Amino acid sequence: MATVAPAPPSNAGHSEKLRGVQPLRAGEGHTFFLRRLHSLTGIIPIGAFLIEHIVSNFEVVNGPLAYAQQVKFLNGLPLARVLEWVFIFIPLAYHALYGVYIAIKGRANVNVYPWAGNWMYLSQRVTGVLALAYIIQHLWFQRFTGVSLPENPGVAYWKVQHELSTAFMLWVYIIGMVVTCWHFAYGIWLFAAKWGITPGDRARKKFGWVCGIGGVALCTMGLWSIIAIYSAPRVPYMYNAMPSQPNNTVAPTIPGQYPVTNYDQNNTPQQEPLQ
Amino acid sequence: MAKGQTIKVEIKRQATPDAPSYTEKFEMPYRPGLNITSVLVEIAANPVNTEGKETSAITYDSNCLEEICGSCAMLINGKARMACSALVDRLLDETKSDTITLAPLSKFPVVRDLAVDRSVLFENLKKVQAWVPIDGTYDLGPGPKQAPQIQEERYPLSNCISCTICMEVCPQFNTQTNFVGAATIAQAKLFNMDPSGSVLKEERLRALSGDGGIQECGFAQNCVQACPKQLPLTEAISDMGRDVFIQKVKDFVSR
Repeated sequence: MATVAPAPPSNAGHSEKLRGVQPLRAGEGHTFFLRRLHSLTGIIPIGAFLIEHIVSNFEVVNGPLAYAQQVKFLNGLPLARVLEWVFIFIPLAYHALYGVYIAIKGRANVNVYPWAGNWMYLSQRVTGVLALAYIIQHLWFQRFTGVSLPENPGVAYWKVQHELSTAFMLWVYIIGMVVTCWHFAYGIWLFAAKWGITPGDRARKKFGWVCGIGGVALCTMGLWSIIAIYSAPRVPYMYNAMPSQPNNTVAPTIPGQYPVTNYDQNNTPQQEPLQ
Repeated sequence: MAKGQTIKVEIKRQATPDAPSYTEKFEMPYRPGLNITSVLVEIAANPVNTEGKETSAITYDSNCLEEICGSCAMLINGKARMACSALVDRLLDETKSDTITLAPLSKFPVVRDLAVDRSVLFENLKKVQAWVPIDGTYDLGPGPKQAPQIQEERYPLSNCISCTICMEVCPQFNTQTNFVGAATIAQAKLFNMDPSGSVLKEERLRALSGDGGIQECGFAQNCVQACPKQLPLTEAISDMGRDVFIQKVKDFVSR
């Protein structure tokens, strides 16, 4: 008589919950999407905006009027407020909040393993949190309180120079610039590494140079603007570089110095004398 | 250090998984060429601590004693290493002291003393089906040929000894993220590149996109620094990161 085959070895030990770190939840959950979205938003749109912001701010080097025109140009873009919320504030809020969530879940161990990559891992979290603190105060004081620049672009130079009138705020801005550029430059490097764009060691090393040089260039440009507006002659209180310049109107920058063409009922241009 | 001197060994011990841990100190005469497993063997031969009290031998996992079985990983002077390939002469040189500290890996549940339960790695390997599925009821015949170029890329990954050091040193491998760890990702790549194993490629990639999957990697690169077998772990994570992403996009638009 055939005997019953012995039961397969029990897996009971593994069906109950293991202690410590849990096994992979294969195919479950949405953290892959959320984490990749976090990685992507850091570059597009936030990184792209950072470059735009630093390049735009470089106009302070050319004085109050040039800076005011740049602010007016950006605020004159079609649907400027929608662009601001959809491509800056909302992605930035997501990147910041999910980034803090990522940072508090990690267990940095540079004290035990003081290796370069491990330090950069920690630095990405530290610079991220510092940049967030900087951005919150920056948005609060420069975007959401004080004289509103979208409506009064001419006052932009004064507002920024006034903000930077103390040595303390100067250092806040310098540190904010350095940590933000650091976070962005290493973030691009991490993006390329994690998304499989630079899998090889040499590719990562080479791209490290690209990110490093790009980050330093961006940071230099930003610091240059900060130092330029800080060390420039102080403009008067609430100085408006473009008086009688309503926003959302493409008017000549210096009113009254250009010929204005009118048309009569036959649609013939009538040259008027200079005002 | 010369013959005739003594070396001190401080070992973090724990009688059962739930017992409190304590440190016990031992002294033994120095000999050149010792490694940590031979230190533990010597303590087992004469388990008397520095207070002269007889105690139990230290429990630890070991098998091959030549860095190929992967079982003797532990914290040696605070860092995760293989006990068999951790040479006492070098350790004393590194710290310039006559004391060596031993402790169990910190991220795995302790079974007793230096022995820890590393079954999470085995569970993870099962989750990504890190094998070639050729079991069946009849002979499948010879497998497809493997080009030497593929062999060369796969061979370093096949050197994994499942020691879990890459997981221990990873800042993202913890009970908050429950990250899968570099070893499992590397093994998924190894079997995805196998001409027969690649039939499970999509399932492995989907598995790695689950919670605690490849996305939790923070690219601190400790894994590749600490790996005793020099596996190209960061390259594997990068490659698999791309493959998982492409698979997810494919699934999103076509399933």
